[in-house]
Amino acid sequence: MVAVLGLTLGIGGVVFYQSRAWSYMEDDPKACINCHIMIPQYSTWQHSSHSRVATCNDCHVPHTSLAAKYYFKAKDGLRHSTLFTLRLEQEVIRITEPSVAVVQQNCLRCHGMLNEGVSTSKVVLPEGHGEGHLCWECHREVPHGRVTSLSSVPNARMQLEAPTIPDWMRTKTTENDGVKK
Amino acid sequence: MKPLQEWFRNPWLAGTLFVATVGIGVGVGLLLTSVATRKAEARFAYTTKADIAPDESRSEVWGRAYPLEYESWKQTSDTGFRSKFGGSAFRDVLAEDPRMVVLWAGYAFSKEYNQSRGHAYAVQDVRNILRTGAPNDTDKGPQPGTCWTCKSPDVPRMMAKMGDSAFYKGKWSDLGHQIVNPVGCLDCHDPKTMALRISRPALADAFARQGKDITKASHAEMRSLVCAQCHVEYYFNGPNKHLTFPWDSGMTVERMEAYYDSANFTDWVHALSKAPMLKAQHPDFEVFKMGIHGQRGLACADCHMPYKTQGGMKFSDHHIRSPLSNIANSCQVCHRESAEELTRNVNERQEKIQEERILLEDVLVRAHLEAKAAWEAGADSATMQPILKLIRRSQWRWDFATAGNGNAFHAPVEIGRILANGISFGQEARIRLARVLSDKGVKVDVPYPDISTKAKAQELIGLKMDKFGAEKQVFLVKVVPVWLQKAKAREDSLPK
Repeated sequence: MVAVLGLTLGIGGVVFYQSRAWSYMEDDPKACINCHIMIPQYSTWQHSSHSRVATCNDCHVPHTSLAAKYYFKAKDGLRHSTLFTLRLEQEVIRITEPSVAVVQQNCLRCHGMLNEGVSTSKVVLPEGHGEGHLCWECHREVPHGRVTSLSSVPNARMQLEAPTIPDWMRTKTTENDGVKK
Repeated sequence: MKPLQEWFRNPWLAGTLFVATVGIGVGVGLLLTSVATRKAEARFAYTTKADIAPDESRSEVWGRAYPLEYESWKQTSDTGFRSKFGGSAFRDVLAEDPRMVVLWAGYAFSKEYNQSRGHAYAVQDVRNILRTGAPNDTDKGPQPGTCWTCKSPDVPRMMAKMGDSAFYKGKWSDLGHQIVNPVGCLDCHDPKTMALRISRPALADAFARQGKDITKASHAEMRSLVCAQCHVEYYFNGPNKHLTFPWDSGMTVERMEAYYDSANFTDWVHALSKAPMLKAQHPDFEVFKMGIHGQRGLACADCHMPYKTQGGMKFSDHHIRSPLSNIANSCQVCHRESAEELTRNVNERQEKIQEERILLEDVLVRAHLEAKAAWEAGADSATMQPILKLIRRSQWRWDFATAGNGNAFHAPVEIGRILANGISFGQEARIRLARVLSDKGVKVDVPYPDISTKAKAQELIGLKMDKFGAEKQVFLVKVVPVWLQKAKAREDSLPK
């Protein structure tokens, strides 16, 4: 019995560590690129005006309550991890219906005041998808741009590498000063 | 409760448990393998498999692996854009504003000073400019090796071989046959990972002296720091001309001045006033950090290298240039105003700073000439020293505000403040000079000279321009082709 418990904890720990599972509890956008297929979304967001004011979670999970947030995260997370593990991801990843509602609500959460004037023309979601309009049906470049396929941002991964200096600079010594290592 | 052993006497139960355990084991095992495979995959996905040598300075070799970035980088050779005060076109700054000739009397900048064109011209323009002279053999000519530092990816290649001290110490002409590729890939990127990388030791050293480790910078910071390797205020320290940033006690115009004062540093002695002068380089990074875009956490690359869509691809535009020629991808990512409106806003800031700048230039031209008149009238050194110090302070502020690219846009309030202080120091010098002149019996005003053209201004300070031009021509026709031939022979011997 103790052996079984130990084995479970051990293997569970490895899975937890290897999959960086703790990062999913937080709001750092880097958690979203634990799976590399989100790199196009990450780098287009990072180059957009939203990157300075909003994280992935600000738009893509509900903020009505803490319970709603983590329930949604768990639901989405399980779906994503299953698809990713079974290699069922699409070349062009599209947003799902429940996510559409969440994102639209989050647009309004920040931009609500701004949109009071246009809400009469049904740019609100309480109408339900297909009945009203969605913010990004007009604001198509916000924030990821129109080009979203997995192969659309070549070389974007380099931004995840740590900055470096050449080896000769690490070891140099001068009469003046130097980067002493 | 039955003891465990009793449960396992039931063969069905034991069998099911066994199969289930095997199933879970296989599942967890597969999951772990998948996580590991996918993580390994992430190292290669979106990274071009390219075998680029650690010191590959030829950008066209990188270009085979990174064609989109390379093609856009090549466009820095475009000289078609001219904004109201800048752009990428050739502009003879001394011809546009001959006062500068007088301000730099006794210093090579009074011979020739042009607006910088794109990165593609970095090497060509430093060869062409009169300031580098006409060395007809190695170990001759006026400038040290330090002058190459910001011009080429051949610089980190050579520094890795010879060390930075030896690189700086030699003559500029010693390395003419080695440094041929204009600012390119190796200047900012690690050839192995394509990550942003610091290739110039002066920036890393300045960080170290401030107690900071540059390898801990975030990606967002690196998007400015690779530019800050060159687009900063710097000086050539000591007889070995060691490239140094004066940032030890801070990065404002006053803190850097205090650094130079305490180091007793003087770039040159002014030919007319005999004032011990400082020459500002181009404190673009420092000034940008003091403006609103810098304070809101933007990086240089956000506006000067914004994302670009070409076909189905998105990538950083390596056509580094004035954002005014690319408003849709730069300003309008955040600002919703029209391109015309945004250009007007930029121009307005620059026009107002320009107005202050010209006021200060006139003050300085007069101060230099009045100091010259005071010396001629027999003023003594003890009386003149504090006045010359004021001229130094005033012109340091003028140069700091003027030498940068886009300072008036990057931080208009700070630049306005600096110019106002410069005018105040300059006028203070002139009030004291008026007293000195009066004491020495000079009762008429020192007339403002006719410096309506560059030629007249250069004649005023006694420059023999014909001679410099003729020597330069000989250098360009006789010496440079030999450099290029040697460089080609070296590059041809490398693996393709």
